[in-house]
Amino acid sequence: MSLPSPTPRFAPPPQVADRPRLELRNLRKRLGDTAAVNGIDLAVAPGESVVLLGPSGCGKTTTLRMVAGFLQPDGGEIHLDGVVASTSAFALPPEKRQLGMVFQSYAVWPHRTVAENVGYGLEVAGKKKAEIEAGVAEVLDLVQLSALAKRYPAELSGGQQQRVALARSLATKPSLLLLDEPLSNLDASLREEMRFELRALQKNIGLTTLYVTHDQDEALVLADRIVVMNKGRIEQLGTPEEVYRTPASRFVGSFVGIANLLEGEVDAVDRAAGKVRIALDAGDRLWSRAPARWLADAAPGSRATVLLRPEDFRLEQPQVPDQETGIDVSFLSESFLGSHYELKLQAGATPLRVQSRRRGSFVDGRTRLWARPGSAWVVA
Amino acid sequence: MSEITASHHLAEGTRATTPLLRRLSSLQPVRFLIIGGSIAILLALIAYPLALLAGYSFIDAHGNLTFDTFEKAFARRGMWQATLNSGWLVLFVTVGACALGVPLAWIVARTDAPGKALITLSAGISFVIPTFISVISWIFLAAPNSGYLNRLAVEYLGFSAAPLNIMSFGGLVFIEIVGVYPLVFFAVSAALNNIDASHEQAARVLGAGRLRTTLTVTLPLVRPAILSAVILVMLDALSSFGAPAAIGTMANFSVITTKIYDLLKFPPQFNYAAAVAMPILIVTAISLLIQKYAIRTENFRTLTGKATPDQITRLGRWRWLAGGFCLVVAFGTAILPVGALVLLSLLSSFGAPISLGNLVTKHYGLIFDEDFVARASIIHSMLLALATATVCATLGLVLGWVVERFRFFGREVISFLVMIAYGFPSIAYAVGILMGYVDLFYGTLTLILIAYAGKLLPIAFVLVRNGIQQLSTDLEEAARISGAGWLRSIKDVTFPLVRGAVGIAWVLVFSLSLRELSMSAILAQSDTQVMPTVVLQFIEDGAVELAAALAVIIVAVSLSMLGLIRLFTRKKTAVVS
Repeated sequence: MSLPSPTPRFAPPPQVADRPRLELRNLRKRLGDTAAVNGIDLAVAPGESVVLLGPSGCGKTTTLRMVAGFLQPDGGEIHLDGVVASTSAFALPPEKRQLGMVFQSYAVWPHRTVAENVGYGLEVAGKKKAEIEAGVAEVLDLVQLSALAKRYPAELSGGQQQRVALARSLATKPSLLLLDEPLSNLDASLREEMRFELRALQKNIGLTTLYVTHDQDEALVLADRIVVMNKGRIEQLGTPEEVYRTPASRFVGSFVGIANLLEGEVDAVDRAAGKVRIALDAGDRLWSRAPARWLADAAPGSRATVLLRPEDFRLEQPQVPDQETGIDVSFLSESFLGSHYELKLQAGATPLRVQSRRRGSFVDGRTRLWARPGSAWVVA
Repeated sequence: MSEITASHHLAEGTRATTPLLRRLSSLQPVRFLIIGGSIAILLALIAYPLALLAGYSFIDAHGNLTFDTFEKAFARRGMWQATLNSGWLVLFVTVGACALGVPLAWIVARTDAPGKALITLSAGISFVIPTFISVISWIFLAAPNSGYLNRLAVEYLGFSAAPLNIMSFGGLVFIEIVGVYPLVFFAVSAALNNIDASHEQAARVLGAGRLRTTLTVTLPLVRPAILSAVILVMLDALSSFGAPAAIGTMANFSVITTKIYDLLKFPPQFNYAAAVAMPILIVTAISLLIQKYAIRTENFRTLTGKATPDQITRLGRWRWLAGGFCLVVAFGTAILPVGALVLLSLLSSFGAPISLGNLVTKHYGLIFDEDFVARASIIHSMLLALATATVCATLGLVLGWVVERFRFFGREVISFLVMIAYGFPSIAYAVGILMGYVDLFYGTLTLILIAYAGKLLPIAFVLVRNGIQQLSTDLEEAARISGAGWLRSIKDVTFPLVRGAVGIAWVLVFSLSLRELSMSAILAQSDTQVMPTVVLQFIEDGAVELAAALAVIIVAVSLSMLGLIRLFTRKKTAVVS
């Protein structure tokens, strides 16, 4: 999608720029017997794209629906532009929140044309006909659907309906756009394309978005910050790089990307460099970075788990290795994936997944494995 | 940009000056009023009369719990006999309806017999014509001496005595069977059509023969449909009033429902009537529970579709026998009665020879005569049907929405209450309405409207609720988030998308109101007669030609209204996934 408008038209007035567009304070919600959302704190700055990422049932959609006003929290507060929108005693109805929302099912109204769908928000706001037409034309142009304005949704493809839903949510120029797994009903290639389009759109018009997904790739592409959720709580809040490279927990490490987890015992601590050396159960000793808080308590003899991504392994010894002998691994299986080989190896009893440009040479089905220097990370 | 700035000012201003207004808007007063009002109407229509009914039969004049009323009520002369008659009626009608409906359904859904379309059409006609109207036809055809079929048999076929007698218990059973067998037929043929061919193909692939497949796969799959239909037939037979009243008067026997009717004649004995209605209530409640727990759990999910060629049994030379059976059924249950009804309405007098010279329109003339009771009853019926259909469609929409969309304590109570009204025998319900509202609305059409609306609400509710169920909640939420309030989201999104279902509900309720007899018989006073009560009066007075003429009007209006349904279903009701 080419984006005609480089100036951020949706940017907030300067005097409120410092105030978070959305703020959640200790938000709680029980659904049935489970605490679906169990104390969430979050602030979304104007122009920011925040993605709620987590497995199904982690509370991400419940959080989004509370922000939209479809659910009322049991505890905590939701502030929109610094004004209370929801507490356990009060909930501003959805129509008074001036939000936009894109639904997983698109929720495009089948009895209205594309233009009627997109113009609905302006119509409800009591705009004049000419204003509505101009507004509709503008956003349809933005999502490249101008040619289909008079069509009914049933005549459109899934991807086009998705764009109608997006255009409809943008037409009222909402202060915050909520997206609930908007791409999950598209086929794989279209989904990938739309990710980049959405990201470009968001940056170009300075949209503030809160985006819910269970797809880690989508989260990495779309987010300024990712909120990884699990069982109603925030596991980690950080940039895509932070979440991927320095996950705060085993859960985050395994949920975002593929995690190889190696157990071991702390052997030496270098607090100044933020590193520890770990004697791996599978043999070899390895220097690894570690979170500061964990490092504070770390002492030789305590147990530790090291995370290594599949692409962080080498089959040749690096110039300046973090290791001594390399990890002794045995060969299990190999798949060729075009750009690389995907190897399944085993270190002691621990299975490992390794990406390698080369096939590697094994002697009696064994070889030595090296970590890319500086890539190892201790997960708490 | 200006949009957003404005919104900030708005939000800030509201917070600073009128927090109360903000609080109020969070309550959504319009929604609160509409939903609360609808629930209040529901309670008044259904819960209140039913509570009274139970109260009257269990509580004596001093307010103590007692079973005395039952003892006294059933000690009355003929009461046990009437109860027994009801029991036999239910048994015979259920067996007969299954014996007729199940084979016909199989023939239509799964064989290559000729005349299948004819059966579907005649089942539809049987279903539309209420039994108090088919009684008229059968009096014309099979009254002991003067019935035209009997005369035919005696004069041309050499019978020494009239072979048929519709004015008997057997005659009543026959008329009831013809009236209710379509329930079995439609349920079972729909179920047979809905079985995905792959279920049967799987059995065939595993080596089961056609018969074995039918017995071990097909039959178990349609069993829930048969059981549901059997329960409906039983309830229908148990609470039937029209034909038993018409025939019972002439053949001198009673069933429970006609006994209740007698108890409410002057001086009305509410507590006895309520007590006598209790057995019907209890059987109904048990049947509904069986349906809910025994059948629902067995309600298999199957794919929809028509029978594939593989599922069609080739009957060979039996084909013509099956075709003949179809023809006889169609002729005996639809063509003959409808023809007889129209003929009788035009015949100069019952018993006159059928010739062109004897065909007159004087009965219709009398029906529309200004000074005659029939004309007012037509106007009353039409007004009531219009009002009932509108009330039920509106309430159905609001309550259907509440049950499907609103998560609050006790929303299940709503569907429970509505479904109780569905299974509730009309005659007993009318007793409740009479006890609850006779002081307020004695002798007015409003009293009848309350009864119609309460009894027919379930039909509108189920139809509209199913429509709403198929609508994704997102569609309404998208409207809310776009800035539309609750009422506006219903008006702009929900209603347009369920318009088809609401329209069908309106038409069905309209048609059913036109032919409602059991409640009308109890509630209508001399100034508030409706078409069915006038028809019954004509039958009891022996003026069958007039009864036929008015019945033709009821059937004609009902059928043309049902034709409207095609309009609603054909209209583009957008496809919603």
